Amino acid sequence: MSEIWIYVENHFNRVDPSSLQLITKAKEIANGRQVTAVILEDHDQDFENTVKQYGPNQILLVKNDNLKNASDETITNVLVDLAQEQKPDTILFGATVTGRSLAPRIQGRLKTGLTADCLDLRFDDDLLVATKPSYGDNIMCEITCPKNKPQMATVRPNTFEAVVDGSSEPKINEVEVTVDVDPRVTVSDEQGSVSNTRSIGTAKRIIALGRGAQSESIIKKANELAGKIGAIVAVSRPLTDLPEFSHEQQIGQSGNTVAPDLIINLGISGAVQYVVGIQNAKTVVSVNTDPKAPIFDVSQYKYVGDAEAFLDGLIENV
Amino acid sequence: MKIIVCLKQVPETNNVKIDPVTHNLQRNGISGVINSFDVNAIEAALELKDRYGAEVVALTMGPPDYEKTLRLAMAMGANEGVLLSSRGFAGADTLATATVLAAAVNKIGGADLILFGRQAVDADTGQVGPLVAEKLDLPQYTYVSKLNLSSDGQIDAVRMLDGGTVRVNGDLPAVATVRSELNEPRYATPRNIKLSFKKDIVVYDEKDLDLDDSEIGQAGSPTIVTKVYTPTATPKVTETLEGSAKEAAQNLLTKLSEKSIL
Ligand SMILES: Cc1cc2nc3c(=O)[nH]c(=O)nc-3n(C[C@H](O)[C@H](O)[C@H](O)COP(=O)(O)OP(=O)(O)OC[C@H]3O[C@@H](n4cnc5c(N)ncnc54)[C@H](O)[C@@H]3O)c2cc1C
Ligand SMILES: Nc1ncnc2c1ncn2[C@@H]1O[C@H](COP(=O)(O)O)[C@@H](O)[C@H]1O
Repeated sequence: MSEIWIYVENHFNRVDPSSLQLITKAKEIANGRQVTAVILEDHDQDFENTVKQYGPNQILLVKNDNLKNASDETITNVLVDLAQEQKPDTILFGATVTGRSLAPRIQGRLKTGLTADCLDLRFDDDLLVATKPSYGDNIMCEITCPKNKPQMATVRPNTFEAVVDGSSEPKINEVEVTVDVDPRVTVSDEQGSVSNTRSIGTAKRIIALGRGAQSESIIKKANELAGKIGAIVAVSRPLTDLPEFSHEQQIGQSGNTVAPDLIINLGISGAVQYVVGIQNAKTVVSVNTDPKAPIFDVSQYKYVGDAEAFLDGLIENV
Repeated sequence: MKIIVCLKQVPETNNVKIDPVTHNLQRNGISGVINSFDVNAIEAALELKDRYGAEVVALTMGPPDYEKTLRLAMAMGANEGVLLSSRGFAGADTLATATVLAAAVNKIGGADLILFGRQAVDADTGQVGPLVAEKLDLPQYTYVSKLNLSSDGQIDAVRMLDGGTVRVNGDLPAVATVRSELNEPRYATPRNIKLSFKKDIVVYDEKDLDLDDSEIGQAGSPTIVTKVYTPTATPKVTETLEGSAKEAAQNLLTKLSEKSIL
C-alpha cells in the first residue's frame, strides 16, 4: 500500500508541533494511503506516546542510542536506508530549521524532487500537488514531481492544526537498523533559548511591537498587558537589535510564523516580510499613527493614533 | 585556505506580477540584486580572508548579467569570480542548480569551506546548500549564527534552531549556510570597486564542467511548476476604532469580549 511518511522531529525532549500538524493534514488528504510517522530516538525517549494520540495509521520506530544528538548526516543515513527499503510514496517534513536541513540532504541522495515551505498539499490521483509561495508570498506556485519517487515536501509550521484522534490505535512497527554515525561531525546538547518555554509560534495571544513602539516605557507596558491577558510579546525585525529581544521573538519571513487567536500590532508598518508571518492569525488589531500604513490592509480592527496611549487605554480597562 | 561563496541574484522587489495572458511571471524591468543573505556569506568568507589570508572565490550560476553580483563580491574583497552560464542551465530547480554548482566546485579544485546564504528570498527554499553538501559528500553546518575555523582544519559552529541553538564541530572541508545574525557585512571600498573591474571573470558552461544534458536545466529538474497564480487575499473587513485612544481601547475590549476572543 502506498505510504505517506512524516518525519517526527524533536527538540528538548518534545515532539515538534509541526510534525503533529502534518500527521493531521496527511490523514485528511490520504485517500486510502497509509499515514506513517517515522520516529528516530534513543532508549530514554518515548515520542511514540505523544505521536500515537494524533492517530497515524502506523509508527515506524527506530530506537538506538547512537541517535542521541545525531547529526544531519547520521539521520540522513538512517532515513535513506529506510526509504530505500520500504519505498514510501511521499515524505513530509516541517519547514523548520531541522526539516529544511535534512530534507534536501535526503532528496539529494534519493535523487528526487523536494518542494519547500508549502502552504497546502493535495493529491491529484498519484501526484502530490504542493502549493508554495514565492516572492514573499506575492505569488503562489503549484509544484509536482511526476517522474521521481518519493515525492517530498517541507511544510510551513502552524499552517495546519494538529488534532488529537483516538479513533484507532496505530500499529507500532519497531525496526532494528544499524545507525551509521558520520564520524566527521560532533553535535553537542541543544541549548533552549530563554523564551523557549513560551514560544511565539504556538502562542494564542501576541502583542507585537515595531519601530513605532520601541521605547523602554512601551516595552514595559506591553509586558504588563501581556501578563494580564496571558499574551506573549513579539517584535518586527528592527527591534531584534534591542537588548530586550532576539531573533526568537521576531515575526516574519526571516523570523517566525505565528498563528494566534489574537495579535495586537503596535507601531508596525506592515512590510510584506512581516505580514507573511501573521497570515494565520485569526484576529488582527493594529495601531499606527499613519492612516495609510499597509498593516491596516490585513487587520480586522484599526486605530489611527499613538501606540502608547492605546496601550495605556488597554491596561486601564482590561 | 580556500573558500568558495555561492551567490544568487534575485529580483530587486518581491512585487512581481503575473501576465494575465501568458501566465508567466512579468520580471521585465525589474533589475536583479544580490540575495541579501548571500552578503552575509561573503562577509563570513572575507573575515577568514582577513584572519588567515584565505583565497575567496565567488561563484554563481545564472544569465550573463549575474556578473554584476560577482563584481559586488569582488568589490567587497573576494579574489575571483566564476560565472556558470549557459542556455542549458535555464529552468533548473534546486537539484539541477546544485548539480552544476557541485561540478563547478570540483572544477575549481575544491575548497576548505563552501558558503551559502540561508535561503534565496525569491523562493525561500534554502535547499541548494545541503544539496551541494550531499553531492560533494561533505558535512553540512546549516543556519549558522557563529562560525570559527582553525588553522588545523577544524570547523566549530553554532546553529540557530527555531527554539534554541546547538553547537556542531568537526573536520574541514565542509559546507555552511549562514544566517544574517552571523555578522554585519562590510561595504565595498573605492579601491576594491576599482580593482573589481580590472579582474576577469571566468565563465563555464556544461561542456567545461563535463555535465550531461540530462542532469542540467529543466531536464535535470525533478520538480515542475504546474500552476502559478496570485493569491486572492480574502478581503478583511477592517473596522476603524474611533475616538480617543482610551475610548478606542475600551471599544476594542468590548468587541473582543463579545466575540469571546478575550
Ligand atoms: C530579506 C528580508 C527579510 C526580512 N524579514 C523580516 C522579518 O522576518 N520580519 C520583519 O519584521 N521584517 C523583516 N524584514 C524587514 C521589513 O522589510 C521591514 O523593514 C520591517 O518589518 C519594518 O519593521 P517595522 O514595521 O517595525 O518598522 P517601520 O517600517 O519603520 O514602521 C514603523 C511604523 O510605526 C509607525 N509609528 C511611528 N510612531 C508611532 C507611534 N507613536 N504610534 C503608533 N505607530 C507609530 C509608523 O507610522 C510606521 O508605520 C525583512 C527584510 C528583508 C529585505
Ligand atoms: N543559481 C545559483 N548560483 C549560486 N548560488 C546559488 C544559486 N541558487 C542558490 N544559490 C545559493 O544557495 C542558497 C540557497 O538558495 P535557495 O536554495 O534557492 O533558497 C543561496 O543563498 C545561495 O547561496
